[in-house]
Amino acid sequence: MSVEDRIKEIVAGIVHVDKSLFTREGTFKDLKADSLDIVQALAAVEDEYDIEISDEEAQKFQNFGDFVTCVEKLVAAKEKS
Amino acid sequence: MSPAGKLALVTGSGRGIGRATALKLASQGTDIVVNFFRRREAAEQTARDIEAMGVKVEVIKANVGDPAKLDEMFDIIASKFGHLDILVNNAASGVGRSVLDVDVKAWDWTMNINARAALLCAQKAAKLMGGGGKIVNISSLGSSFVWPTYAVVGISKAALEAVTRYLAIELAPKGICVNTVSASAVDTEALRFYIKEGLVKDTRQATPAGKMVTPEDVAGVVAFLCSDEASMIRGQTIVVDGGTSVAPFIMP
Repeated sequence: MSVEDRIKEIVAGIVHVDKSLFTREGTFKDLKADSLDIVQALAAVEDEYDIEISDEEAQKFQNFGDFVTCVEKLVAAKEKS
Repeated sequence: MSPAGKLALVTGSGRGIGRATALKLASQGTDIVVNFFRRREAAEQTARDIEAMGVKVEVIKANVGDPAKLDEMFDIIASKFGHLDILVNNAASGVGRSVLDVDVKAWDWTMNINARAALLCAQKAAKLMGGGGKIVNISSLGSSFVWPTYAVVGISKAALEAVTRYLAIELAPKGICVNTVSASAVDTEALRFYIKEGLVKDTRQATPAGKMVTPEDVAGVVAFLCSDEASMIRGQTIVVDGGTSVAPFIMP
């Protein structure tokens, strides 16, 4: 499963929406996710891939695609090292 | 109980009060289990600083709000060390909302991390404290006073203080002392964020002691409660606030 699909699955489980509603351009707000959902999503994805997303990085996310791209980069960097 | 050669678990010890407490106990010769949830780098830094003091350190990632993760953390402690002497329930989280906006999700998240985790950790820790021990829970003045948007955290801290009292009595026959340290606004990264976001007023100038409470101020009291000198203090909430709570009319 791709990183994007796995993230969709994780976030869908937290905000209780169908993962087909996720688009890269969509935002957490579109999914009616609140700040607690976002914290839980970040923690769950970090746990899944054993990575750390800084608060500074997370605050820059404009949409779901930014989140996925950030995680993909961190996972790639981890695999490289 | 001399702190040297003992083992302490400090939850949420990557930063702030938890880090200061872990360092203080380590400086007295106590081996430390550093627990963290999301900030591994901060926890690793705390561990390096502890190691430099010549004591043993173990870093364990666990969301204390998740009972399964707590089981895993205590399994590691039991298998690696076989005992635990000090537990400091410091890890905390919360959702900044007015009391009328607190929903089930915010309630459960905050209560599970701030109050239930302390109970579950104490239950598991007690089984590893065969020769007695010390448990200190970290609370805040929001348990007794009302701060805007602090509702669910304040409520969870009130529950934590009640958990402390019940544990103190039921664990007394096992030689385990349980107390709470309650602090006013402490000068931490988290507080600076809340001030910046306008969620908390900057009270630095309004503390009767003339300075902000620091993580080290809190850590010093925790260390005292973990000492033999404090063995007749049971089930109490010790306030560390520079005098703020007894001078409410000069609070902003």
